[in-house]
Amino acid sequence: MIPIRCMSCGKPISAHFDEFESRKADGEDPKDIFEDMNIKRYCCRRMFITHVEVWE
Amino acid sequence: MEIEVKEKNENEMIFILSDVDVAFANAIRRIGMMEVPKIAIEHVNIIKNSSAMFDEVLAHRLGLVPIVSDNEAIEALISNEDCDCKDDVNNTNGYCSKCSVSFTLIKNTPGVVYSKDLHSNDPKIKPVYDTIPLLKLKDDQEVELEAVAIIGKGKDHAKWMPTTVCTYKQYPVITFNDEKELSNDVVEACPNNILKLNKKTKEPTVQNIEDCTLCKFCVRTSENKAIDVGYEENKIIFKIETDGSMTPKEVLLKVCDVLNSKADRFIEFF
Repeated sequence: MIPIRCMSCGKPISAHFDEFESRKADGEDPKDIFEDMNIKRYCCRRMFITHVEVWE
Repeated sequence: MEIEVKEKNENEMIFILSDVDVAFANAIRRIGMMEVPKIAIEHVNIIKNSSAMFDEVLAHRLGLVPIVSDNEAIEALISNEDCDCKDDVNNTNGYCSKCSVSFTLIKNTPGVVYSKDLHSNDPKIKPVYDTIPLLKLKDDQEVELEAVAIIGKGKDHAKWMPTTVCTYKQYPVITFNDEKELSNDVVEACPNNILKLNKKTKEPTVQNIEDCTLCKFCVRTSENKAIDVGYEENKIIFKIETDGSMTPKEVLLKVCDVLNSKADRFIEFF
């Protein structure tokens, strides 16, 4: 499960995770998705792009 | 003191303070992070949890979920510290209906459990986002719990911090030495691309000076000292970003309240 907040700055990033995953699966560039969702800092962005879902 | 708001939206505000001391801006920053009261889940009574997630991990996740704490929502609540329920011998919980809000989470269908499944007993106080994934349930697994949210301060736990970013920097000043020529390497050294060089006249210009982070990459790259980066002593760029539980404006107004009540203690004493 993705952490609720960004570990560095505390922004509640998990609220955007499902949207990010579905848009990425549709072939959109992650950079464009982040800009659209107003996630600017690299600390928040790494939470999405380095996340590995192990709960199955 | 003069205030000029540069950028403002729901969760973010950038403003410029003129004629202020750094010490004053720092007081605002520290109170904004540590002493503005906000509501967050503190007690979790787990009745059933047969999911793969441990009880304490789930409780920790619930605590970090931001909950609407603007003035309108929490004005009826009193702080848990000031509540008299702790002195009540019949109450062993450490909280009561006057100082807390209760959420229930009951789910037994397979799939992801989201923050929207948290049902509050106060319609105004609810999670800010409906789409925060809390845990996953498989077939025949269920979760049933009561979560109790109380008012707290950021100095006790990060979940009570209303701001994610609460920072300031001094207003940058960039000066060029007109007698020396600025090379293109210096312009390209700037990570925020605020320097521009006119190709014909070789005259450098600055755009969006507020984006300058005072990193001085340009100064270090310039071998002939054609550029210098400094700052204005009493002009400050302030940025407040909240987690959505209240607006930045409200955070700022509450900071003033807290600072005021701290100063009042001296007035009461003398």
